[in-house]
Amino acid sequence: MKELVHNLYSYRLLLKSNVKKEIRGKYKASFLGILWSFINPLLTALVYALVFPFILKNTEPHYVTFIIIGILPWTYFTSTIIQGTTVILNNAGIIKKVYFPREILPIAVNTSGLINFLISCIIIAFFLIFSGIGFSLNILYLPLILLTQYIFQLGIILITSALEIYVRDAEYIINFFINMLFYATPIIYSANMFAGSHIEWLINLNPMASIINSYRNILYYQTMPELKSLFITLGASLILLYLGFKIFNKLQKGFAEEV
Amino acid sequence: MKEIEKAIEVKNVTKSFKLFYDKPSTLKERLVFWNKKKADVRIILNNISLEIKKGETVALIGVNGSGKSTLLKMMTKIIYPTKGTIKTTGKITSLLELGAGFHPDFTGRENIYFNASIFGLTEKEINARLEDIISFSELGELIDSPVRTYSSGQYMRLAFSIAINVDAEILLIDEILSVGDQHFQEKCFKKLQELKESEKTIVIVSHSLDSIKSLCTRAIWINEGKIRLDAKTEKVIEEYIKVCG
Repeated sequence: MKELVHNLYSYRLLLKSNVKKEIRGKYKASFLGILWSFINPLLTALVYALVFPFILKNTEPHYVTFIIIGILPWTYFTSTIIQGTTVILNNAGIIKKVYFPREILPIAVNTSGLINFLISCIIIAFFLIFSGIGFSLNILYLPLILLTQYIFQLGIILITSALEIYVRDAEYIINFFINMLFYATPIIYSANMFAGSHIEWLINLNPMASIINSYRNILYYQTMPELKSLFITLGASLILLYLGFKIFNKLQKGFAEEV
Repeated sequence: MKEIEKAIEVKNVTKSFKLFYDKPSTLKERLVFWNKKKADVRIILNNISLEIKKGETVALIGVNGSGKSTLLKMMTKIIYPTKGTIKTTGKITSLLELGAGFHPDFTGRENIYFNASIFGLTEKEINARLEDIISFSELGELIDSPVRTYSSGQYMRLAFSIAINVDAEILLIDEILSVGDQHFQEKCFKKLQELKESEKTIVIVSHSLDSIKSLCTRAIWINEGKIRLDAKTEKVIEEYIKVCG
């Protein structure tokens, strides 16, 4: 483990330039460029905000703001998982030719996703101001939630990106799970809807639910996040991250031959 | 006498590849064909052991498919041995494939940073070498144009200039002594000679016996996955020509 940290540190410039490449390369050929990382979640949120008030009986008062606070972290999650799963495969050319710590690739995807998410947080700020909700000191919990989400996602993509090399179905299975998870995560609805019912514990099992609830608490409801649930998620994510590095390290020896 | 440090230590290394007639890569295929062993195991290297000391310049020779490049790739940790261990001490640069990881839309200068970072250099270290790299490549003002506008010779020149200026302790080179035009080739050759004298460890895979003769002090002849002969360059080449020439 110590060796890995040292190795990653000495390759930090590669990590940096990879993050840059991810961010710059993503929207390179498109007309609106980086603006798409704002427009996309915004449009999605607007669609939901138009449709769901008809389906759900009672929605939250500032429903667009409510949804946007759920959608943006969710977009960070899905884009990282989807890109992260195929990142080793997509870099086959370079993996076959040069040695570098392969962990750099998933870490770069997750980090560039985080930067993208932080930029798009401008939208959240915008909606918080114009809906009159404003800000509270609870926003100081934001780094803790971000860290939890970062670790959770890195743990997942370390495993899925390595598995993808051996079983190409991984990406399709992942896609399906993400679609399913969308409905099992309180994004378009509030977790409070299920308070006291049978499925509350089911939602509590979902780390993304805990993460999104925390964002909602500090930004939308302006309360403290549920620290117990958040710390359990953080703890579980750390274990996942450890397993992720272990599995990745085990499988990476075959990357150059299998891709 | 003080023992000279080992730079590369290869111990009982065997490398075999599975050759699939129809490689299962999807879950369905894995499930359906899980008990069909349609793979042939082909042994590329068979229980090889060798030591390369610090400061040595060693050539690996042998006919195509004898396992030279595989051995080199294992030294760089791109692939791993099936059995046995390989231990290396010091920073390694591999010139297995020049320009791996060049981004065509970035300028030559940007690619220097990108490519050198693949070799594990920090920004400071690259800044210190930037001038050397650019002047060695002789690209002049072209360095600020996108790499896709380069000719293949210019491309190789830039790649070689980066790799050779990384300042690694161990240099692994695979059949790239034919970079660029006559003038640049001579320059590369001189640079390699310089590196050789500065106590770097160099391992070269090449078919160009003449350049090996003047560059390397020791040669290892690999044949059918085994070391056939490991001795002074002249002697190995003499034997090699007798058998394969």
